[in-house]
Amino acid sequence: MLTIGKLPAAPTAPLFKRFASAIGEHLLIAPHSRLFDLPPDFAAALDRQEEEPLQLVAALAQAASGEEALEKVVAPNPQSLSLNVSSSCNLACAYCYAGQGAFKGAQPSPMSWEVARAAIDRLFATADAQAPLTVGFLGGEPFVNRALIHRATHYAAEAGAARGLDVRFAVTTNGTLLNKNDIELLRAYRFAVTVSVDGGVELHDAQRPLAGGQAGSFARLCAALGPLLADPGLALVAARATVNRRDFNLRQRFAAILAAGFPEVGFAPLRAAGPDAGALHDEDWPRYLAALTELAEDERARALQGANIRLTNFAVALKQLYRGASSPYPCGAGGGYFSVAANGDWYACHRAIGAPAYRLGDNHGLDEMRRRDFLTSRHVHAQTACQTCWARYLCSGGCHQEATQRTESACGFVRGWLEFCLRAYCELSAHRPEFFSADQYLGGQQ
Amino acid sequence: MSQQDPIKLIPRNAAALRRGQSQVSAARLVTGNSAATRLESGVGNCFPGLECDLRNLERRFFPFLEVDIVETTVSLANIVAVDMPGVQSAVAAGQMTAALSAIYQLINNDLAQNRRWVIEQLTGTFGPLGNQSLRVTDFGLPSIGDGRRPPDAWTAIRMLTEGTPVTIIARRVSPTVRRTLTGARARYLDDNGALAKMFSPGELTQSLCSPWTHDFRDCGCYYWATNHPDIAKPPLPSPPPDDPDINVEVSWLRANRSLTPLPAPATPRESAELRHYEINAQWQALNFVLEGRESLAPYQPGIFSGEPFATPAELETHLRYAAGVELAVLHEYLAALYSLKLTGLPAGSAEDVMAAQAELLRISIGEMRHLRIVNDVLASMRITTPFVPALRVAASVPGVQPGAFRQTQPRPARPDVIEEFIALEQPSLSVDGLYAKILATLEQSGTDEQEQTIRSIMSEGEEHFETFKFIQEWLGAHNPNDYLLAPNLAPPPAGNALHQTLQQRYRALLQQLFDGYQQGLPAGAANINAARNLMLGANGIQGAAEAVARAGFLVVFDTVNDPRFAPIDHP
Repeated sequence: MLTIGKLPAAPTAPLFKRFASAIGEHLLIAPHSRLFDLPPDFAAALDRQEEEPLQLVAALAQAASGEEALEKVVAPNPQSLSLNVSSSCNLACAYCYAGQGAFKGAQPSPMSWEVARAAIDRLFATADAQAPLTVGFLGGEPFVNRALIHRATHYAAEAGAARGLDVRFAVTTNGTLLNKNDIELLRAYRFAVTVSVDGGVELHDAQRPLAGGQAGSFARLCAALGPLLADPGLALVAARATVNRRDFNLRQRFAAILAAGFPEVGFAPLRAAGPDAGALHDEDWPRYLAALTELAEDERARALQGANIRLTNFAVALKQLYRGASSPYPCGAGGGYFSVAANGDWYACHRAIGAPAYRLGDNHGLDEMRRRDFLTSRHVHAQTACQTCWARYLCSGGCHQEATQRTESACGFVRGWLEFCLRAYCELSAHRPEFFSADQYLGGQQ
Repeated sequence: MSQQDPIKLIPRNAAALRRGQSQVSAARLVTGNSAATRLESGVGNCFPGLECDLRNLERRFFPFLEVDIVETTVSLANIVAVDMPGVQSAVAAGQMTAALSAIYQLINNDLAQNRRWVIEQLTGTFGPLGNQSLRVTDFGLPSIGDGRRPPDAWTAIRMLTEGTPVTIIARRVSPTVRRTLTGARARYLDDNGALAKMFSPGELTQSLCSPWTHDFRDCGCYYWATNHPDIAKPPLPSPPPDDPDINVEVSWLRANRSLTPLPAPATPRESAELRHYEINAQWQALNFVLEGRESLAPYQPGIFSGEPFATPAELETHLRYAAGVELAVLHEYLAALYSLKLTGLPAGSAEDVMAAQAELLRISIGEMRHLRIVNDVLASMRITTPFVPALRVAASVPGVQPGAFRQTQPRPARPDVIEEFIALEQPSLSVDGLYAKILATLEQSGTDEQEQTIRSIMSEGEEHFETFKFIQEWLGAHNPNDYLLAPNLAPPPAGNALHQTLQQRYRALLQQLFDGYQQGLPAGAANINAARNLMLGANGIQGAAEAVARAGFLVVFDTVNDPRFAPIDHP
């Protein structure tokens, strides 16, 4: 991985977070997310800011063998690509970041086969053959352009196999347009299928109306997706629910989505959207935190009894804490991940199609200077607000697209949620250590 | 917290475990192989060598087979292993027929049952000796001229041209079965010059000399690794004694291990050394040698003390000055090189002087490489477009004392001048001190590539320092009047035609370098090549400088009346 620059952490940036759980005192070392159980006297000495424990913390914060220094700005080869195959959608959700796929006119027409193939070829030409590759499909509603998804999937699978590449697929869909052939495709390949479903029938229909404004999207979703949920084949299906400020009853939403047959559900609060879409305000974040932790408490209790965790946000957080996930970036945007617009331009992020600052290349190659500038400016050490935060390598500043909406209250939610997860992790790992040695917690995507 | 209380932190996640299993990474530059070290930098040879035994490469000459090259009366080598996963991958990729893979499978199955397979015939392209088919019985016969046979099995296999088809006849010894296999002679290195993946860790070193056996006593080859030399400075007590003999080299194998009084200086005559059984019994008494001195305590590397520059502008200023210093020392080294007599050397001094000349030329070429590196780093900083190459000659170079400078001054290779060269290249001081600050800055804010290139300059500087000490030793054995054209050799008078030719080529060189550096690669490759041609050979600076020297003048380069190449002052 090529290091293209360095951004040292602020000298005053906190190196650790002290916390306690039901099993005792703990220490999170911020760099590299190391977690330790502390003897009570050491914990007390650290709380008194004594020199010796502080020196030990500083030593523990150093990179271990095989770990990448966090101040590095690295430019890995692109390993994941999303293709914005469609420029329209059969739903009309008020908060859609993509403007139903047209991206405010930046993507007026759907992607052609030639553009998709050139993007896949480009990805395969430079990707690291030792690691998995992902080809994703986004839109608009991607299945509006189903012919391209089918063709591109077959092509990528065959071309990847010929090169000895481990190619995987991803699609984010509203699920309403899936037909039998689509489901066969998703079953036959290793697809991560993320379905946008916000809750039960009433809430979902209200938040995700059909393009004409009518209700009925939930019923269509259930009808179209039912066979895949019943028999997913190689696909991994998960629900993703957008939460706006009008309804924080996550328990009810969670139960309704599980009842529809989904194995797991993740929630995403609406941070950035148009004026009437219901983005969370400062006063909403404590309410959202309370609702999410309430739900996570339920799942923790289940996990202590030996059941699996169905709340994706919680399961992912636990997995990352177990592994010690620690990154100066919140996602792979501009690094290992790019999103290709219908015209073949490569953007750092699928939410930024049409945004000049995020356009870093095209199917012919990347502009490495623009990429360096992007990666440097988005490094967590370049985010002033993150320089005083212990959670900076877990949150990494949050979604680039939503960074402008970052407020102290929104950051307070992130820290509150992580504190809950840290406590839960310590307790679960003490009582159910086998939970964290399962294969899914050691490999796969973060 | 009490100092006596052991602190026990229990790791609670994988990241905490990782830290516990990893030694504290050095927050400083430590002595050791430079980042530019490659396989061929090591001391490898075709006998049990010091760092790798190149014979082990040939163990993998044939695809998917590992062999022991042991000649018997009927065979060239034993087959010891088959890479079946590799065979299966080749079959899956359509690169191997089922029939061929069945042969590999047969051999593999037999080896698992301790049945022996040997290679009894080898057919292929043996480099300059051409296509041949060889059996072990061919080696004993006289063979001369074009198309002669290689002398032995290992040499034959070593001569096989990489990538060319090789056919072997393999034979199972009992019950006898013969099979013919054809494959391309394997590549030992990958596209990056690293060892091919087929080699396992330790495979190239598995047959090295064992350093703690009495091989030390008998080996007459005198090229032991630097930490097991023939002679070394004795261990340094603490505090160091005020005795100059502490810096006199002694026999490393001396039988008397006492340090009081200091061991007797090493002499060419055989001294009392440990005997074989004593080495076996007292191997721990043989001290490790680091930096030329025996060491009794854990090695403490020098602390890297370079302080980073405060701003990118300050870094750029110092990089431009560093480029100027490279050019300035080049002027001084070339003046010294061409002050040495090419002919008319007294008996006994010719080899030493020729060695000094060769090394001065090699160091000078190294300085040109440094000039390129500094310009590459500057170009990669993308401060201006187009890039303005750094080709101004430093009017003064860093002195040994921090903050001190001395004027750039081309002079003959007198002992006092060589002494100044040694000071100039001394690690951590002078020029190296300048680069230490540059490196410290790049470690904070530069790229890996920038860091590594500067490290390579520093590593070479250390090597230049050692070489100048050798030059000092070689020339020190002779009278300066014997090897110098003249101790106070003077530059040519103005208008001297030979001098003018030299200046003309020098200016052309600077212009080519400017154009080449400015365009970068690949666009500037033609200019870089042209610059190289302007330096070496009879038609280059080398030829012109030799002509000036033959005429009895000091080789100097005039200030060029062009702001791009004008003198640059130290920051």
